[in-house]
Amino acid sequence: MVKQDIAADLAALPALRQWVEQACRDAGLDEAASYRLILAVDEIATNIVTHGYAEAGLSGDIALTIERTDRTLTVILEDGGVAYDPRTRSMPTALDLDQPLEERDLGGLGIFLALQGVDRFDYQRCDDRNRNILAMNLP
Amino acid sequence: MAIQVDVSNQDETTVVAVTGAVDGGSAPGLQTQLLPLLQPGGALVLNLGGVNYMSSAGLRVLLLLYRQAMTGKGRVVLAGLAESIKDTMTITGFLKFFTVADNVEQALVALRRG
Repeated sequence: MVKQDIAADLAALPALRQWVEQACRDAGLDEAASYRLILAVDEIATNIVTHGYAEAGLSGDIALTIERTDRTLTVILEDGGVAYDPRTRSMPTALDLDQPLEERDLGGLGIFLALQGVDRFDYQRCDDRNRNILAMNLP
Repeated sequence: MAIQVDVSNQDETTVVAVTGAVDGGSAPGLQTQLLPLLQPGGALVLNLGGVNYMSSAGLRVLLLLYRQAMTGKGRVVLAGLAESIKDTMTITGFLKFFTVADNVEQALVALRRG
C-alpha cells in the first residue's frame, strides 16, 4: 500500500504517475491497462490542481492512496479543493467524438478519458474533501 | 517535467522531434514552441517517437496545430506515435483527422505524395 501527499501542482504530475506506474508493475497489470489507469489518475489530478485549487484561489495537496487486493488495484485521490464529482460532467457522445476537429469543444475530454479508461470509478464527498476512486481489475 | 523539442529541416519540410511526457505541466511549453513552426502553406512533420505519454493536455496542442494547418492551408503529418497514444487518439476521435506515418521518412514520403 502506498500513502503519499502530493503537492497540488502540475509539476508534481510526473511523480504521481511514477507512483501509479510502480504499483501497476508490482500488481502485474498489463501495459495497456496500466497506461489507462495512469492516464486516468493524471487527468483527475490535473483537474483537481487546475479547477479544484488554482482557479478557486486555493492551495493544498492531494493525498494519494494505492491499495491492492487479490482482484483489484485501487488508486484513491483525496483533495480539499472545490467540491466536484467528475461523474456529473456530461460525457461526449459518439456523435460529439465524430465531429470535425475544427468544431470540437475539448472541455471534458480528460474526464472522459479517465472515466472510460478504468474498470471502476467512484466519487465520494466526506469531511469537506473530494475522494476520487479509480480501480482496475487484476488478471 | 521538461520536454525537449528539436527542430530540423528536410526537403522544405519542418521536422519537429518531441521527447518526453506531454502532460498538463509540459503541454503549454510545447504549444508555445510548436505552433510558430508551422508557417501558412508550410509542411510540418511532428515526430512523437520520443513521447511515451500524452494526456488530454497534449491532445489539445494537437488540436490547435490541426486548426492552424486548416486555416493556413498548411500540412501536418504525425510520425512515430506510440501504440498507447494512438489508442487515446482513437477513443477521442482524433486519429482519423490526422495523417500518421510510422516514422519521419515515411511522413516525408506521405507529404511528397500530397
